[in-house]
Amino acid sequence: MSNELLKQEIERAMDNAPLQKALKNFTTAYPGNRARVYKGYDFEALREKVHEVKSYARDHLDEVMAEFIKNAEANGAHVFVAHSPEEAMDYALKLAKDNNVKLCVKSKSMASEEMHFNQNYEKAGITAQETDLGEFINSIAGDTPSHMVMPAIHYSKEDVADLFESYTKQPEEPVITKEVKTSRRVMRPKFLSAEMGVSGANVAVAETGTVITMTNEGNGRMVATLPKTHLYIFGIEKFVAKMSDIRYIFKVLPRNGTAQNITAYLSFYTGATKVVTDPENDTKEDKNFHMIILDTPERRKIMASEDYKDIFCCIRCAACLNVCPAFRLVGGHVYGGSIYTGGIGTLLTSFLNSRERGKDIQNICLQCGTCNTVCGGKLDIAGMILKLRTKFAQEDGLNPVHKFCLDTVADRHLFHSMLRIASVAQGMITKGQPMIRHLPMFLSGLTAGRSLPSVAPQPFRDILPTIKQDVPNPKGKIAIFTGCLLDFVYVDIATDVVKALNMAGYIVEMPLGQACCGAPATYMGDVENAKKAAEMNLNAMEAEKYDYIVSACPTCTHALRDYVDFFKDDPEMLKKAEALRSKTFDFCKLVSMLGGLPDTGDGVPMKVTYHDSCHLNRYLGVTKEQRELLKATKGVELIEMHDCDKCCGFGGSYSVKFPEMSAPILEEKINNIVASGADVVAVDCPGCLLQIRGGLDARGLNNIQVKHTAQIVVEKREKK
Amino acid sequence: MEKTELYETFQKGLTSVNGESYIAKKADVAATLTKIFQDKDTHEVALVETPLLKEIGAVDALKAAGIKVDTDHFRKNAPDDKGGVTEADYGIANLGSIVQMKDDIDCRIVETVSDVYVGIVKLSKIVDTFDDMIDIMAETKPFPKFAGIITGPSRTADIECVGTVGVHGPRQYSVIVVEDA
Repeated sequence: MSNELLKQEIERAMDNAPLQKALKNFTTAYPGNRARVYKGYDFEALREKVHEVKSYARDHLDEVMAEFIKNAEANGAHVFVAHSPEEAMDYALKLAKDNNVKLCVKSKSMASEEMHFNQNYEKAGITAQETDLGEFINSIAGDTPSHMVMPAIHYSKEDVADLFESYTKQPEEPVITKEVKTSRRVMRPKFLSAEMGVSGANVAVAETGTVITMTNEGNGRMVATLPKTHLYIFGIEKFVAKMSDIRYIFKVLPRNGTAQNITAYLSFYTGATKVVTDPENDTKEDKNFHMIILDTPERRKIMASEDYKDIFCCIRCAACLNVCPAFRLVGGHVYGGSIYTGGIGTLLTSFLNSRERGKDIQNICLQCGTCNTVCGGKLDIAGMILKLRTKFAQEDGLNPVHKFCLDTVADRHLFHSMLRIASVAQGMITKGQPMIRHLPMFLSGLTAGRSLPSVAPQPFRDILPTIKQDVPNPKGKIAIFTGCLLDFVYVDIATDVVKALNMAGYIVEMPLGQACCGAPATYMGDVENAKKAAEMNLNAMEAEKYDYIVSACPTCTHALRDYVDFFKDDPEMLKKAEALRSKTFDFCKLVSMLGGLPDTGDGVPMKVTYHDSCHLNRYLGVTKEQRELLKATKGVELIEMHDCDKCCGFGGSYSVKFPEMSAPILEEKINNIVASGADVVAVDCPGCLLQIRGGLDARGLNNIQVKHTAQIVVEKREKK
Repeated sequence: MEKTELYETFQKGLTSVNGESYIAKKADVAATLTKIFQDKDTHEVALVETPLLKEIGAVDALKAAGIKVDTDHFRKNAPDDKGGVTEADYGIANLGSIVQMKDDIDCRIVETVSDVYVGIVKLSKIVDTFDDMIDIMAETKPFPKFAGIITGPSRTADIECVGTVGVHGPRQYSVIVVEDA
């Protein structure tokens, strides 16, 4: 699929009103509902245990699986281990044929979708009836799931009424309770007459040979209770060793998935349970119970990979979808739709279903890291998506235009010369204004819903020597790492960083050999240029000469601290990288570590609302220090906006590659800012500043200023 | 948990998921059961007998109130009976759940196909938390071929994410907790 097709799908999803309404309603209510059901529970401790029991099963898979099979078979189950979806399908078809199955009722099984189960049954003349309401709706529409837990979230009740009318040939009112009744009425005779039931497992317990399924509608119980033949289909990722292990999974799964303490049904099947084979005589026999375990090479490959093996700890709770700003905009179909969606879907699709699709959809990840904060299996989803991006870039090469840009940025002399030229040449489009409101032709997408800043007339490296650093008895020396935006665009922020650190008693120097931090390359999967940047900066920053390194861009801070990852096999560079890591802090964190600033300020009232950058909040874990600094500034009144820690949609090159997605994310941020009633938005990330200031400017909201925390705390102290 | 708190916790859990919760002394269980079905306009009931239900005379009480009761051939009868009654092996207070820990197909059919379902559980068999129940399960050897935890009526949010009670399983769901000790 080309990028153009992906963009068309994004556009289609964003034009789908019912989908947009449902996604918005659900994702807006989800965080609060989720928090409510976790009251009294230690989520971090729980997911740590989920990770532990799932990784144990993964690391001992062969013995765990052998024990499961032995116990299940001892209880009368027939177990088939399939090494491909095709093998699995052949077994399922033979099972139906051998038992003369005409109608098969299915409760949710994602693994069966990998086998194209329904299509293959239909081809063989067997009806495979999806009984879960959402899946039923999709099956009438000939559609695929748009959410892992709520598969028909993209249809309105009016759509459902039309679909039901087409199915039952009877009038259907667009009233949800009536539609639910219709599904009961239609499905009940099918449950009672089906010769075979198909289920999916949430967990398989080795110790007992038990498969466990969590459902709400009761269809899971129906398909497992009434038909004489029962087939479970699941992948090797569902195992745990002990019955006691399941507690963690079933505490997290319903709370994370649908914000429930527990679902209506949690059912455990251990081998062949009893079934009534002759209703008239009330004859009871052991049912014909089969299990297909999907043990495909693709799954084994994930397991064997150091980078991706934690995918096995996923419990399919869908929390990563529910909080993802990109998923919230487009829903599941854009992710390839048929099986797995959202953050985890990006990974699973790439490995299990379609590498090409995975390669496209990994691009719509903003790398905001919100998924990682809620993941029930404690996966580093965002990190794995980034590794995937890198893998695709290495295997297939980068888009030549992107590659050219990244090569340019990696060449410090060339890039810096270009920026100096740009500061002169941009006059044509800024028309003397500080913001660029419209870019010509193919660049116009960059200014959709956002203005861009112009390049400063003089870079910060030329300004620093002119700043008089009046620090009597300095406590030490700090090196500033400006990053590109502070050096060439937001020189005033860099100036205020210097002033604040002077107030804290330190002299600031700027090592001139520094270049781009490498994050743009990292986030586009270009390891080569990222490493080049790391080398350049490690040599330039000379960490050993300074007490600290300060950066006023959390993305740069994060990048600098992670240089160690590039030099695991190079002891000399690793030493440098470790020194840099130990001394590098983001502005607010460092000022706070140095004891904060004098408790002064001009006292003039200023309502400030704070926007948490993804990198500072989720990657560097700094949330309190900046607020304390602001509150200690006389005149500042800090008011929190709704969703202060939600991504602004910048995402570095993301806003360039996907302006159509970045823009609505920004729109929401702007609405929350306006609703807060603040005069000033404080940020710590120049990227967020660029994005939010641009969004306010494009909407004519110039009464609301956007400032870096350094600017606020310095300006108000200087005016005192 | 002390008994009053245990029941109150159970009730809170069950009512939060649209279930109804009752507590009755043994002598009053049959009357409570009958009243639930009368209130819900239920005239045919599938009931899986247990020593407790026999002891309290559940079937006779229902019949005396003019309710038809089936106590066998559940696969044939239960789908047409609006009401259903089974006794659970355990309860979980903090969730308002009831638990089956045996491969009894009659119970499973009645619990699954009834429209108006009433579960019976002894107060002495209600454990405090989900963890306590999993501890019991982990210690039960051999593990029964079937175990099931049920918490409230069947439900869905599959259309427009609007929570709706009663899909394929029971639409009206009550539990009578029996004060047995």
